[in-house]
Amino acid sequence: MSEGGPDSVSPEERKMWTTWVRERAVATLPPEKLLPDRQPSYVSSWIYVFGVATIAALIVIIVSGMILGLKGPEWWHVTGIGRFFNGIHLWSVELFFFAMVVHLWGKFFMAAWRGGRGRTWVTGAVTFLVAIGAAFTGYLSQQNFDSQWIASEGKDGLNSVGIGSFFNVVDFGQMYTFHVILLPVVVVALMVGHILLVRRTGVVPPYPARTSKPAPSPSPAAAPTQGQGGAP
Amino acid sequence: MVTAALFDLSHPAHYLHWHFFQMSVANVIVILLMIAVFILAILLPFPKRRHEP
Repeated sequence: MSEGGPDSVSPEERKMWTTWVRERAVATLPPEKLLPDRQPSYVSSWIYVFGVATIAALIVIIVSGMILGLKGPEWWHVTGIGRFFNGIHLWSVELFFFAMVVHLWGKFFMAAWRGGRGRTWVTGAVTFLVAIGAAFTGYLSQQNFDSQWIASEGKDGLNSVGIGSFFNVVDFGQMYTFHVILLPVVVVALMVGHILLVRRTGVVPPYPARTSKPAPSPSPAAAPTQGQGGAP
Repeated sequence: MVTAALFDLSHPAHYLHWHFFQMSVANVIVILLMIAVFILAILLPFPKRRHEP
């Protein structure tokens, strides 16, 4: 890149795909919007913390899941420390869904798709659905009688809705691959996209107070701000 | 271990039945907790940030 900032890009550099991607990325999401140090004042409410609580739970899920995957089923079923990490993994999943459902309720009753935030809403909803699949394949990966029972019941359920030929839920290897690689990658990718969209369009404001005056735009740009950190 | 000491877990789960509706007591408790947390999150005041001098 030439000296002197982005405006001094040479014609040769202009043809490079990296220049094209960089310029559009910075134009779409400038650094001050990507990592803000202030949020609108309406964000100082407990209902706005459940999104970041979901992310925190997901981090614990991934770390505990990596430890479980490295040590194996015998370790997580037989040893005390293995059962401890098995419990950490289970309860972080419980917290993940707990926080995500409260986040979903909050955003639903706030109509969080307002103000051009439709894609943010859709990516969140799809993340929820994919996470259910990730949790289901997790139950199938336990390597115990519980997972065998769930697999046999799940097989009938998937067959009854006509998608049984795409997944063999009694195949541990297939379900384990879904659980530790494919679905986590999709969940994390969707969540990253979801957060970037929140950064781009801003946190959805609450409904305006009922008044005889015309309601203001839901755009957060005109809202008062205060130092609040960056909870999405 | 602690929960096993507090609650006897060595039996099948308790279920609630209401016509076609059937749900384990554990799931009902989780849903009620989520509703309670949702209401508290709306009603409870958020701590204000201290203004530095």
